[in-house]
Amino acid sequence: MKKQKKIPENPVEPFYFEVERCKIKELCMAIGDNNPLFFDTGYARKEGYDDTPAPLTFATVMVFWGHPGLLEKVKEWGINTGKILHAREHYYYFKPVFPGDRIKCTMEIESFRSTSAADIIVLKFVFSRQDEIVLIAKMKLLADSR
Amino acid sequence: MKKLNFNSIKEGDELPALTKGPITQVQLAKYAGASGDFNPIHLDNNYAKAAGLDGIIAHGMLLMGILGQMISGWAGISAVKEYSVHFKSYTRLQDRVTAKGVVEKKEENEKGKFLHCTVFVEDQNGEVKITGKVIVQCM
Repeated sequence: MKKQKKIPENPVEPFYFEVERCKIKELCMAIGDNNPLFFDTGYARKEGYDDTPAPLTFATVMVFWGHPGLLEKVKEWGINTGKILHAREHYYYFKPVFPGDRIKCTMEIESFRSTSAADIIVLKFVFSRQDEIVLIAKMKLLADSR
Repeated sequence: MKKLNFNSIKEGDELPALTKGPITQVQLAKYAGASGDFNPIHLDNNYAKAAGLDGIIAHGMLLMGILGQMISGWAGISAVKEYSVHFKSYTRLQDRVTAKGVVEKKEENEKGKFLHCTVFVEDQNGEVKITGKVIVQCM
């Protein structure tokens, strides 16, 4: 018997993430990316940036640390988060993100499809700074639906 | 700012490859803390085995980060307009990974000059871990 999935229309309230300089360094160090662009403000300015920009995959930090209970929410919808696969990640960049930015993140469910084997869900995150969209992220997840 | 010269780049040109690794348990612990993704399949060997894996696997997003390092090392940050990946296979401890890419198409339109590239990460045996696309704007 399949469990009923309750996918809400407005899944979570918008949340905020304040970009800390050390969170940028921490992500780069974990990746092993020692590009001075991410560590040295003077170097970044010489390169024409206002400050050390966030690296390309920083959205993941803003989602997980901006909304630490997100996967619990997904579980509440009836999705099997114990057996979940990250299938796809897609970023659209509009403006670089810098230390000190207060980023608003709005999440919506772009699509949801349930087959006999898997729940296929695409989450869309819109990141904005003072009403200007800086980044859009889409995350496709596959969860065991049996 | 890093400026890629549109005219000196040809379709078929390779992006500068980046080899990393081996992937270690400490790196996965660091990546969990940095990203906030504490899924135990990346951190707890017993949990990973109970979930049907051989052992812990790397965060897919770490691989996307490594590929991103290759891309931003080549093109900078503000030139990158779009970046996407598909996660294809697991990366395990001790794997050495190489990020690679190729310029597939040059495009010039009213918005500017763009390079469409395919990118991927493979391990020491040539197994593809992630594949993706990136669009870079040239000045």
